[in-house]
Amino acid sequence: MLDDFDFDTRVRLHVYYHLLGSGRAPSPAETASALGTPVQQVEAALGRLHDAHLLVLAPGTSDVWMANPLSAIPTAFEVDVGERTWYGNCIWDAMGVAAMLGVNATIRTPCPDCQERLLVRVESQSLVSADGVIHFAVPARQWWYDIGYT
Amino acid sequence: MLLFRSEEHVARWLEQRQMKPGSIFTVDQGWSMARIWYGDRLSPEYRRPSAAEAEAIFAKLGLGGDFWKLSAD
Repeated sequence: MLDDFDFDTRVRLHVYYHLLGSGRAPSPAETASALGTPVQQVEAALGRLHDAHLLVLAPGTSDVWMANPLSAIPTAFEVDVGERTWYGNCIWDAMGVAAMLGVNATIRTPCPDCQERLLVRVESQSLVSADGVIHFAVPARQWWYDIGYT
Repeated sequence: MLLFRSEEHVARWLEQRQMKPGSIFTVDQGWSMARIWYGDRLSPEYRRPSAAEAEAIFAKLGLGGDFWKLSAD
């Protein structure tokens, strides 16, 4: 199905579906094997995708850190879908996982102030229950200065 | 972007860190933004919105002002 699309798009979507399926991001070698291409080409594509803000690599590596809204490493923003749990990079991204997949989901995250567990529930792509308020610390134009801190 | 129990909890957390307030909005607004921003992320045709397009999305959700401005001018 993806053969009709450009190489970077195929790499991007392989990362997303691998992360969704296995709970971890694929290594460049795994993506290269899946796409039948040299690993150097995959690493170059990952670099371009990072530069275009279409995913985020761990600093100084070709390892995927974020395939937004998904985080490749556990965070405080857990997204439960049935028996599966994925991680968002922030509360916006956690809700983004439910939106991206079009599924019912429960998002769990502690209040940074009191550590009380807060819940957000999405059903049939509607918000059915939600605790709290969202705070954005960093103005929008500065998000990509340090995407790990927004 | 963090989820707090209430605006009072946001204020206390910021004060303890000597941080300036950012932007507060409701979970409903966050959900609307998540749907617009991420709803098509698995599409092969997905492309990042331009700064102007992103600002238009923010404005549609009632998020305006300098905090939500992306363009240089």
